[in-house]
Amino acid sequence: MSSDARPRGLRDHQLDDAAGAEALERTWRTPSGWRGFFTTVDHKIIGRRYIVTAFIFLALGGILGLVMRLQLAWPEARYLDPDLYNQIFTMHGSNMMFLFAVPVMEAMGVYLVPLMVGTRNIAFPRLNAFSYWIYLAGGLLLWISFALGMAPDVGWFAYVPLSGPQYGAGKRADIWAQMITFTELSALAVAVEIVVTVLKQRAPGMSLDRMPLFVWTMLVTAFVIILAMPAIMIASTSLILDRLVGTHFFNPAEGGDVLLWQHLFWFFGHPEVYIIFLPAVGMISTILATFSRRPVFGYEPMVLALVGTALLAFGLWVHHMFTTGLPRVAEGFFTASSMAIAVPSGLQIFCWIVTLWYGRPVYRTPLLYVLAFFFTFIIGGMTGVMVASVPLDTQLHDTYFVVAHFHYVLIGGAVFPLLGAVHYWFPKITGRMPSERLGRWSVALTFIGFNLTFFPMHLLGLQGMTRRIYTYQAEMGWGGLNLFVSLSALVLAAGFLVFFVNLGRAARHGEPAGDNPWGAPTLEWATASPPPPYNFAMIPVVRSAHPLWDDEEVLPVASGLRVDRRELLVTRVTDARPEARESSPRNSIWPFWSAVATTIMLISSIFTPWAVVWGAVPIAIALTFWFWPRGMPEEES
Amino acid sequence: MRLGVRIKLGARRMAILTSAVLALAACEREERSTRVDPPVAAALDAVAVMPNGIGGRPPEVHAALGKPYRSNAYQLSQGKQLYEWFGCQSCHADGQGGSGPSLIDGWWEYGPDLVSIYVSIRDGRPHGMPSFRNRLTNDQIWQLAGYIQVLGAYSADTAAPSRSDRPQTRPAENRAPATMAPH
Repeated sequence: MSSDARPRGLRDHQLDDAAGAEALERTWRTPSGWRGFFTTVDHKIIGRRYIVTAFIFLALGGILGLVMRLQLAWPEARYLDPDLYNQIFTMHGSNMMFLFAVPVMEAMGVYLVPLMVGTRNIAFPRLNAFSYWIYLAGGLLLWISFALGMAPDVGWFAYVPLSGPQYGAGKRADIWAQMITFTELSALAVAVEIVVTVLKQRAPGMSLDRMPLFVWTMLVTAFVIILAMPAIMIASTSLILDRLVGTHFFNPAEGGDVLLWQHLFWFFGHPEVYIIFLPAVGMISTILATFSRRPVFGYEPMVLALVGTALLAFGLWVHHMFTTGLPRVAEGFFTASSMAIAVPSGLQIFCWIVTLWYGRPVYRTPLLYVLAFFFTFIIGGMTGVMVASVPLDTQLHDTYFVVAHFHYVLIGGAVFPLLGAVHYWFPKITGRMPSERLGRWSVALTFIGFNLTFFPMHLLGLQGMTRRIYTYQAEMGWGGLNLFVSLSALVLAAGFLVFFVNLGRAARHGEPAGDNPWGAPTLEWATASPPPPYNFAMIPVVRSAHPLWDDEEVLPVASGLRVDRRELLVTRVTDARPEARESSPRNSIWPFWSAVATTIMLISSIFTPWAVVWGAVPIAIALTFWFWPRGMPEEES
Repeated sequence: MRLGVRIKLGARRMAILTSAVLALAACEREERSTRVDPPVAAALDAVAVMPNGIGGRPPEVHAALGKPYRSNAYQLSQGKQLYEWFGCQSCHADGQGGSGPSLIDGWWEYGPDLVSIYVSIRDGRPHGMPSFRNRLTNDQIWQLAGYIQVLGAYSADTAAPSRSDRPQTRPAENRAPATMAPH
């Protein structure tokens, strides 16, 4: 039967299982070859792409870290000159924060959230495709400029006046600012998609209190992104205007303010830490529940702690600025709020420990990564409380103590859970199991290597070694610890190498995983591994917070969606009662061209303000084709 | 057909060449050499000046370096710092001139070329322009000369410095021309 012989508006309950799956496959699939590569709007393909790209940036940034450790291994080493060293530490920080940490967390959400809430695609799938291309363009901009020897050299937070028009010679700081514009654009796009997907596309019956904790964390993170990113957007745009057009946002002589930059940056920069950390919290809860074989203890307190952390995250940015000479009252207030964040974080930690305590833990690789998280993150949290106090921070500001602290928080708090999560969901994404033996090796090497690398940095900081110095004299007495740190960094790198080798091998030769290899309770494990283009043949109906544990036999499903066009179910925000059948956009090349046009405009605007005017024309054309109406009703109640 | 193929090949070669040139140009504009080798620094002083002290041949090493003092963003911004640090403003203001002549009105009493500007700074000129031979190194004089040429240019350069964090008296160097030519 050919497709055009089918009656219009064919529903899934009118077909048997095989025919229904075949029809859905035809409707939802991505064409093979280059055409499919550029036109796809499938959240799984885009999410996978995002994750792979982010991990490539992680590897590149890690290599930069090793190069810096080579330079610092001996006093007065001559491998890098100061200019290149400045570029490398700026690249390392900017790359890890903006091209790895934030995008990879969102990428996990892009891949997993639609599967976990039981829908067929993410909301606004074309925007999703657009966001990936924009992210890729931002990453290429930064790395190509590095290859040309004109990478930013002003540190990852690019303080004015160093990055401003007078001292930031050339186009380096503009490249940094525009890279920020790219990543914030893509992050905002993904945040909007995740909010709408979570609030309006949950499977029938998945009321808010039945949502998996990972979905909760992604929802909260998305709101944090929406509230925090505009601050950095204003900051980076003002910086470019100051540098190119000669405005005076950051020029005190003409009524501007240098500290304005720090306020704007950290009003985004501190929540950004939680944009990275909160999804990791969701990953930990997911992994803990599955491997403890019981639900996470204290679901409501966990969710409240999550929301509490997100709210507090906006009230402590000034603790990055304690040495700028702020009023005492401000310092006291932000010390208090910085310490207050330990309350929701501690609450979560205790809930997790109780979960583990009362569960029957199965110590597989993902759970081992979570245990590595506990140890590392708690140390990072405690040094955090230390630098939250003004007197101590005044002493430790801009030393290696701070470097050690934020690596403990970011690698311990976010990267370890992320590696565990990638290990955990890898069978779902590829359909193959990673090796347990190599997995244990990677946990051991990264955990030991990490602690040996970064713990001595606390001591170096206390001895007075400042960050961002490209070399030091032998008389300072830092040589021994620095050499030890550099050698330990090799162990850490070996751990990451084992991780990559393990997943690379498993992707080709791993054992087939089956639908639910870990015996997990959430919906993404209810479909095939890897999931078909339409995710679920029938939309599942949820009757508890752990559908695959509580509905052991057969999952109830909802039917009635059309199979001859892309349709998904829109449900109510609170109790997820079905409201309407909504059409989901088809593949399109225009998000790609829109991203190309936007890239041309943004990069040209580094050189001339007129690029904003003329560059808007191709963008308008591309967007017009993107949103060309098709004359079909979008939804049916 | 044959011609078409050749044109296509030519176009591709052109594209590769153009991108290579662009990449190199980008490198040169952004490169930062914080220290000049002593022989190079000495050779930078080898200008051959015309007998009247105006115009002449720049040192060969300047061309060999890729003329960084006129096209490199870092060297130009160093020149701008030297302009402020060594008191040029006391006579020339921000380029508008005061007790000394204006540097942005398009009128160069001793010639607009780099060599003339270099010699003016190095040896000084009559009616009050002091010599900076013993206060600046050769490469610093070149940095300053390059900056002064950019300051008085009629079209803005992407390598030109941007505004300073000071009260503004004229548009920034990268927003040139600051003043029209005299009538």
